[in-house]
Amino acid sequence: MKENEIQHITSFREHFSTYVSLVILTIMTVAVSVFGADLLSLTVLTAMAIATTKAVVVGYYFMHLKYDPMIYRLLVGIVMLLFVVFMILTIFDYVFR
Amino acid sequence: MSDTSNNYVNFFQAKKGIKSWIFTLDHKRIALLYLYAVMSFFLVGVLLGLLMRLELIAPGETIMKATMYNQTFTLHGVIMIFLFIIPSVPAIFGNFFLPIMIGTDDVAFPRLNLLSWWLYIAGATLALLTLVVGEGPADTGWTFYAPYSVQTGTNVTMAVMAAFILGFSSILTGLNFIVTIHRLRTPKMKWFNMPLFTWALYATSWIQLLATPVIGITLLMIVAERVFGVGLFDPAIGGDPILYQHLFWIYSHPAVYIMILPAMGIISEIIPTAAHRTIFGYKAIAISSLAIAFVGYFVWGHHMFTSGMSGPARIIFSILTFLVAIPSAIKVFNWTATLYKGSIEINTPLLYTLAFIFQFSVGGLTGLVVGALAADVHIHDTYFVVGHFHYVMFGGTGFAMFGALHYWFPKIWGKMYNTLVAKVGFTILFIGFNVLYFPMFVLGLLGMPRRYYDYLPEFTLWNQVSTVGSWILATGLIIVIINLINAYRKGAKAPVNPWGGVTLEWQVKSPPPLHNFDRMPIVSEDGPYDFSEEYKQKIKQA
Ligand SMILES: [Cu+2]
Repeated sequence: MKENEIQHITSFREHFSTYVSLVILTIMTVAVSVFGADLLSLTVLTAMAIATTKAVVVGYYFMHLKYDPMIYRLLVGIVMLLFVVFMILTIFDYVFR
Repeated sequence: MSDTSNNYVNFFQAKKGIKSWIFTLDHKRIALLYLYAVMSFFLVGVLLGLLMRLELIAPGETIMKATMYNQTFTLHGVIMIFLFIIPSVPAIFGNFFLPIMIGTDDVAFPRLNLLSWWLYIAGATLALLTLVVGEGPADTGWTFYAPYSVQTGTNVTMAVMAAFILGFSSILTGLNFIVTIHRLRTPKMKWFNMPLFTWALYATSWIQLLATPVIGITLLMIVAERVFGVGLFDPAIGGDPILYQHLFWIYSHPAVYIMILPAMGIISEIIPTAAHRTIFGYKAIAISSLAIAFVGYFVWGHHMFTSGMSGPARIIFSILTFLVAIPSAIKVFNWTATLYKGSIEINTPLLYTLAFIFQFSVGGLTGLVVGALAADVHIHDTYFVVGHFHYVMFGGTGFAMFGALHYWFPKIWGKMYNTLVAKVGFTILFIGFNVLYFPMFVLGLLGMPRRYYDYLPEFTLWNQVSTVGSWILATGLIIVIINLINAYRKGAKAPVNPWGGVTLEWQVKSPPPLHNFDRMPIVSEDGPYDFSEEYKQKIKQA
């Protein structure tokens, strides 16, 4: 139980810059959907890449994954990988239909 | 703690009154709450099944109209899948025995455990409400395929919400078990000292945790489409019906491993105990549970070979499906190898186990037939598929569940049932099961489609055989259940360890005390199935 009881005090600076980067990424998503809509699947890919980056930032900084033992990062990684494989298998249907 | 005295307080006696049950935090009581609820719904599901078989005793309308038949098989499916087979083994026997088998006093989050049960009851209530509200229960089949599920006037929204809530119950149980296994094992119990039932539950829990949210979202999408007209699945409003099938089966194929893996865990417990020897290939069986859980995520497309999915995707999914056969076969071979030259005691739990191996093998191998792309194009949506999954789900998990009930009955209630009646009941159940479901393979190959209340005259004979089988099965079921109820009411006192098992639950008294262990459990360093004399001596001396 020990590692749960340690208090992590994160600086305001770190919190704020995480927040700012999330906002910038959100603006990027909107921009891509507005100005890059005619790029079709490339737009979707970019939006997905941005969303993934955001998820990593939230998990790593806000959810304190960076303080946790390696095993937790590994578990989260496996879950993300699982999702990616879901997507790839499904896209195999849509691309070749 | 004097464990020589007989007058200890067991978990039944610890508290009295209805509140001590429905608000209990004791994993054993929660397990029994599940047992009573799940078994009640099982009997409802059986009744619906019997009605369907009765309708099919002759071509044409026999006892119900087409719509009612559609609603009957939908409700049968929803009840059997979401209310019976998914919670059956993990929520009943997992809850009761997981903490005991790893040598601890409860699950990691007892309150969450209670919440799971309450969510189960809420979901069940909602599912039953569809019977009496509005246009009656859904008529879509338990798969809720779009676009029909978006268009029909029956109570799809309510049924879908019921499944959604039940999903949460399942997720929380999975989460609870994962944390329990990681954090609460008794100090001497390393990962590879865990009983195989625990390994099976561990693999299952990961599926519950990671796959169930997908169906949650999907079901909400149906509601969004029905209620707000968002075009997701209905082509008429810009949706894609095959997307629904993808999302549905991304959960529902792994879900069949939620149903079968814990059952395999039970088999891995009963066999070494009945053969009085350590299990053959312990690590192989443990790892194969994880392998099945893992591979099971990537095969969902085999349900969609005829729904218009692309050719390359169909081939990939067919190949991936065949991979599942490998870890399944590893288990079957290791079980039979354990029995080989063991000093076998043919008790009731072992009979159920042997029936499991036989029926699961039939179900598993016909699974390869339907998983093969070319063959499936012909037998998709025929009775062959119905036969296949009933052999796996009922012939497999159902029989394992009854095996578990007979195996652990003396531990849970401290009483023994009439073993002769139990064996007779089993025999009738076994015969009834095979007479009921084997004809479905024949009917399917002859081309009889599933989900119709009517059929061509040439299918009559095999349908009648099947219906007679359903009566034999029901007779067996009644004998088995009455025998157990009788044992509960006036059975003779059971010894602490009637079968000679060596996993930790046989070290605690029957029924177990409130906190399970009066003293530190004794874990063998040679794995969980240590039948050596030294280990037995060690337990005796403690
Ligand atoms: Cu499947």
